[in-house]
Parts: sequence; C-alpha cells; structure tokens
Amino acid sequence: MKITRRNFLKGSLATLFLAGSGIPVYSATKAKKNLVVVMLRGGMDALCAVPVIGDKDLKKRRKELVLEETIKLNSDFSLHPILKGFHELWKDKKGAVVHATNIPYTQRSHFDGQNLMESGGKIPYKEKTGWLGRGMKVAGLKQKGLALALPMPLLLRGVPQNNNYFPTKGKLPTDKVLSLLKNVYSERSEDELISMLEIIKSRPKERSYAADDLYSLANEAGKLMKETDGPRVAVFEVGGFDTHAAQGGVHGTHSDCLKNMDLIFATLKKRLKEEFDNTLIVTLTEFGRTIKQNSGLGTEHGYGSAIFMGGGLLKKNQIYADWPGLKKKELFEGRDLNSTIDARSVYASAMSTVFDIEFKTIKDKVFWGEDLNNLSDKLFKT
Amino acid sequence: MKNFFRKVAFGLKPDEKIPSDPLTWATSQISEKIPEFSYKGKIYSEKEMRKFYREWVYNDRKKLRKKFKKDKKGYKSAKNLLRDATGQKFWRNLEIAIRHKEATSSDHPVLAKLWYFWTNHFTISDKDMLSYYSTGAYQRETIRENLNKTFEELTYEATVAWAMILHLDNSENVGPKSEDARADWRKRKKRPATINENHARELLELHTVSPNSGYTQENIQELALIMTGWAFDDSKHKTALETADVKFQRKYHEPGKKIFWGKEFPNGKKGLPAAIKFLANHPSTSEFIAYKLCRYLITDYPTKEMTDPIVKAWKKNDGYLPEIHKAAIEVAFNFNSKYTKFQNPENWWLQMGTMTDAKWPAADEKFDNYKLGSGPDPYQAKPHWFMKDMGHHPYLSQQPNGYSDLAEDWMSPELIIRRFLYARQGYIILKPDNKNNEFYEKVVNNNFNNPDKIMKLLNQNDKPIDKHILLFNLPEVLRA
Repeated sequence: MKITRRNFLKGSLATLFLAGSGIPVYSATKAKKNLVVVMLRGGMDALCAVPVIGDKDLKKRRKELVLEETIKLNSDFSLHPILKGFHELWKDKKGAVVHATNIPYTQRSHFDGQNLMESGGKIPYKEKTGWLGRGMKVAGLKQKGLALALPMPLLLRGVPQNNNYFPTKGKLPTDKVLSLLKNVYSERSEDELISMLEIIKSRPKERSYAADDLYSLANEAGKLMKETDGPRVAVFEVGGFDTHAAQGGVHGTHSDCLKNMDLIFATLKKRLKEEFDNTLIVTLTEFGRTIKQNSGLGTEHGYGSAIFMGGGLLKKNQIYADWPGLKKKELFEGRDLNSTIDARSVYASAMSTVFDIEFKTIKDKVFWGEDLNNLSDKLFKT
Repeated sequence: MKNFFRKVAFGLKPDEKIPSDPLTWATSQISEKIPEFSYKGKIYSEKEMRKFYREWVYNDRKKLRKKFKKDKKGYKSAKNLLRDATGQKFWRNLEIAIRHKEATSSDHPVLAKLWYFWTNHFTISDKDMLSYYSTGAYQRETIRENLNKTFEELTYEATVAWAMILHLDNSENVGPKSEDARADWRKRKKRPATINENHARELLELHTVSPNSGYTQENIQELALIMTGWAFDDSKHKTALETADVKFQRKYHEPGKKIFWGKEFPNGKKGLPAAIKFLANHPSTSEFIAYKLCRYLITDYPTKEMTDPIVKAWKKNDGYLPEIHKAAIEVAFNFNSKYTKFQNPENWWLQMGTMTDAKWPAADEKFDNYKLGSGPDPYQAKPHWFMKDMGHHPYLSQQPNGYSDLAEDWMSPELIIRRFLYARQGYIILKPDNKNNEFYEKVVNNNFNNPDKIMKLLNQNDKPIDKHILLFNLPEVLRA
C-alpha cells in the first residue's frame, strides 16, 4: 500500500485547547496558518543570491564571481537568475528578502554556527531545544511539526511528538510486537522511544518506494499542510553552500544549492494553492561568505547573509535592510558583509504572526528576553 | 556485564565462549601490530582506486562531454558505460564489506569499533566523487594503518592524505607572496593568489584542539599560511591534476618564518609537521579526544572521572594510540554497569549481525566475483544501499564533522522505523538453520544479563521473525 496522507496523519489530530495552558490553538473559524523554515547549511552567500546593483567594491573583489546576468528586483538589488520560482513570488508580492542579517554569531565555524542558528542561543551546544520547537510549545502546537529529513533537526526539538517524513519501503512490525515494545519502553522510562512509537503506530503498516528528492519532499509537505488537521510547521534542509572553491556564477555549485532552495519555494506554492496565502516560508543559514573571492574562485566563511521569505503572509515584496555598505571599513572585520539586523528578530516576528502570539511572549519565552525587535508590521500581514 | 561485549565491540556469537576476563579480552585486541583484514578477496590500494577516480573524472570531463556535446542521449549511455568500466557503483559495497567484516568476522572487533570512531573523527564527507572511489581506501590505508602510531602521526597522515586535501580544498590554498603569486597568468587574468581557510579551520576545530581551546580567526589564517604548498603534484599530472599525489610544492608556499598562535614555526615543508606537533600536544586536544572517545563508547555526556584516566594515559605515552585506546576501554569497563550507550545505526546493525552470526557481509567470493565493466549484482549492492537507507553510510556524511554520537540525533520516527525495517532484514539474512525459536535462546543467553526475562517476552510471539524484530529493538540492544 502506498502511503496516503490520511494514514500518515491519523492519530495526530490536535485538540483545540491544550489542557491547562488556556492558549487557544486554532479554531475551525480561523484560518490555519503555516510556517515553513528552510535551513541552508554551509553558509549561504547573500552577495551571490541577492547582489547589490552597481557596487564597485563588490565588482572589484569578485571579478570572476560577479553574475553576468541578474533579475532586477528594485533600484538597489537584483536576484540570482536561477531563482525563477522566487522571482514569480516576488512579482506576485509574495516574495521578500531581509538582507545584511544573521544570527549574532561571528566565529565562522559551520558546526557551532548551525547549532546556534537552530537553538537560537549564543553559546554553542548549550541549548537542547530549537527556537521553533520552543515557539510551537508556547503556541501549544503539539504534533504539528513535520521535518522533511531523516533525523529530527534541533530546530524543531522542544515540543513533543513532532513528525518527520523521509520515505523508504518496507513493512512495520505487527501490532503485537509494537505493543510489547511499548510496554518494555514504559517499564524502562524510555520516554523518547515511547513518543516515537506513538507516532509510528499512526503510519501505514507497509510503505512502497517513494522518492526522497527535495521536489518530492516539498510535494508531500505541501499535500500534508493543505489538510486542515495537517502539520502547521515544516522544516527542510538544503546543504552544500560551503563553496570554498569553484563557487561559480550564474551556473556552478552555489547556484545549484540556490536552485534546490528555489525548488522548495516553487513546489510549496504550487501544491498549497490557496493555502499559500496563509503560509510563510523563511530561510535560515549559519553565516554569509566573504565579499572577496579567493584564488580558487570560491569564498570563505563570513558573517552577514540574507533571509529569503515567501508566502501570502508577507506584507509586500521588498528588500528589507539597513544596508551597511561594502567599503572595506564598512565590512565586518574588514572582510564580510556586516549584519545589521539580528535574524532572530525576523524569526520571532514570523512566529508571532503565524502562531498568533504576542511578540513579547515569544521574545521572553523563546529567546530568553533578549533584545530583539518586533518587525511584524514591517514584514508581515498582522 | 555481558553488555560490555557490545559496548566496546559488537557482542558475542551464539556459540562463542563467554570470556572469563572481559577487560583482558578487549584490551588484548589492541596491539602494536595492525592485523590483516579478515576479508580475503582482492583489496585495492588507494592508488589503484584513485586511478579509477581519474579514469572516470577525466574521461567524462575531457572526452565524453566534448564528444557528445549535441547528443544528450548518447552522452547518457556513454556515461553509463564509463560508470561500469570504472566500477563506480561497486566499490562502496566492497569497501563496506571489508569494513564490516572486521566487526562481524574478525578476532579483533574492538579494534574495528575504534577504527570506526577514527574514520568519523577524520571524516571525508560526501564531496565530488570521493565516496565512490576513495573514501573507503582512505579509511583503510590512512586511518586504520596508523592506529598503532601516535595521535600526532595519525593526524599528519590524515592531513596530507589525498582525499583530505581534496575534501578540504587545501590544493587551492596558495601563499599571497609565493612564487606562484607572481606568475604572469595571475597578472594577466587579474587573479591574485590567496589562502584558502577551509582545511586550516577544520584541522583546528574538528581534528585537534576544538573551539574550546579559544583560537581566533587570525590563528586560522596563520595556520592556513603554514599549510600553503601542500597540494597535488603538478609536475607529473598536467592533465589530471586533481588526482595527482599530494606533495609539498615550494612555489605555492608562503615564504618566510611563520607565527602561529604566538609561536614561531619553520618555513617550508617542515612547517606543517611542526604545527601538527604543536596542536597534537596542546592540552585541549587530549581533553577533546578523551571526551569524544567516552561519548562514543560510554555515554552522551561524559564526566571528568571518565576522561581523566584517558588524558593521563595520553600524557604518559606521548599520545600513543594503543595506550589511549586501552585506557578508554578500561574506563568503559569501570563504568559499564552505571552507564549504557545508545548505539548508532551502523554499530547496532553490526551487533545484530554478530550476535546472530548472520550472513553479513555476504561471503568474500560474492564480492570477489565482481567483473569490472558491469554494475553490482543485487547481493553486491546491499551494503551501500542498506547503510544509506539507515542514514548512516560511512562515506556519505553530509559535512566534515561526521555523524553525531548523541542519542537524540538518532531519534526520529523515520530513524526508528529504519530500526524496525532493518531488524526484519537482519532476520532475512540469518543462516537458514537458525530461523527457529531455539536459536534465540542461544543468542539471548550469550549476550544478556537477564536471559529469562527476555525469553519470556520473546516467547509471547510465535514466529521467529517477530521474536527477532522485538529482540533487536529492546532497550538492552539499542543501548549497550
């Protein structure tokens, strides 16, 4: 039997109110709003994806990497031509960019940086939950998260019973074996395993082959999110942005990665149809890349990057930035695009908008009351 | 106590005699000599494998792409022929079979478990065509062959290994004041020489001192300058440079004495070994490695009581790996009853294979029969597919930090589903005579402290396959 959406979701119906919390989740009269986070691993080069138009410093430092052709977005910025899906969203006023932004992490390690972009904290490996998981917990969104990946990303941890989808074929154990296992896990207080079993029990007993490429994953996510009782939060992973050599321009390694990201935006738009109006997609990366190309025609680890956003919950198409400039003295440590907006302000505002929770509550309960700005009315439909 | 055989190895075979002195059983497997592989078919050298890599990359790039410029279909079929001619889809299977046989069919499974640790520490992640042709050979010749040396020697060999230089772009790391920086073509093409920080950063962060040591961005750049010149030898392979041997080449090296982390390092070829010597002997390195070893073998969050004896052994023996390994095993032994370690998918799968004496990997002849020019047959294709599907392929780590050793990173509905599905596969590959209820008594008696309780549970199922799936998903098996 092929996996069906109905089977996949069975048993994951949310209650309208979380016992004890008193926080309304959503009701039938209120539209279901979705938040999608696309993690871009390796350091997304915002100066390649959304270059500033006619900047002499950029041209000078990136002789071979400057794109010969771009799509003009406004008087100041253009778009990498591979991002066709995003451009369609932009034209439809459902695409926007926050530029010169990043998490407040400046040490340039992928792994510490990725840990922090997911945890939302400032000390690597200190937090065991992700900002998205904590946000969902505040919103009472139990059983409403879906990772389109084989592991459960740290980003989603912190709220129980998130699901993931990464197909393989095969037959699950008999109900008897599953229930015997459940008893043993309970005896041993294997809480995580019990929680996994509960989700697995709602899955079809047998799965046939299904593709696990990004298009197929986005397609499945779109199908599931379209359901009224389906997931409200989805997380994707796109890797390969760490282009120290042969980064390429219009074509090449970095452009291939951007294309993968674009595919997720375009597929979700197509699959979610009218639900796309109640959806917000945001990207997340650990850092940007140096403005200067190296002699291997790649770029090194940097600081400021950009956030791509899509969906009908955006206020308008815009490049939202407090542009720091690209002159040597304007660069972070003389080498990187600076970050003038704490990316966590964008994510906190996004959660406040999609989960219908006061910004201050998110700031206090998810980001430990840190100094973040509410950008909701600037970026999103509130 | 019986879980110790799984903690530091992969458990005992159904008919294996239970060792009376488990600690000696384990430490005696760590010797000054690296034993031969248990796989007895032909094992290809790293250089032979690199030749296949070269044939694939350069025939595709230089010949096929030109020849079939306007014939997409023709290109596709010519490319498939080239795949088979270079054994592209087969080698990973052979390499995993060689790797896994060390766990399931050797007399030194403890060494195998430690080998896996180091292949993950010095990860070659999935980049270019490395996984297809070279990562397996690198893990054999660079990592395993040096497990009887010091950490410093192992680190040096891993750093200058062909696969690592390609993986972390040091071939692109050129001194801004080097001879090559002054080359005419650079002026003509306006391409000034620059350092490439990638390898230097990971040598610090992942392979030696770790971020706990407090190095700075400046230190990374200083180390990168020391590393300039370690690249593919361009005097021999003008046309297939990417696959040429790694050689120190002065013309790419930044001239002059180097200051790194406040210390002076020699110019030239001696700079890198001196820097590695400094890093290997930095106190942060022994602490970092001791912590990682305990995290791999004992528990997700090791204590100082666990790491101290390993650091002590490191100091006493100047980082000599066999003594470090013995110390780690002794710590695992001393903390055995108090801590259990959630097993990653590959180690779990190999424990199942060992404890049930299953047909994993398939017989040597099945792999040795492979004919170059063809694809792998369904038997030969299993190792690669199984490990990939389980999410724990030893050559396909997504990033240079390798796979996680934390339980929470192996916990998701899809990953737990894999444990169920592959427990079923584990039953399928049992020897036919063992697919019966009596067999499980032997397996359970030999490997668990509470055999009666487990058998009582298993016997609630009639079919041996259900017993099998249940057994290998019990907490006693998932953790060791």
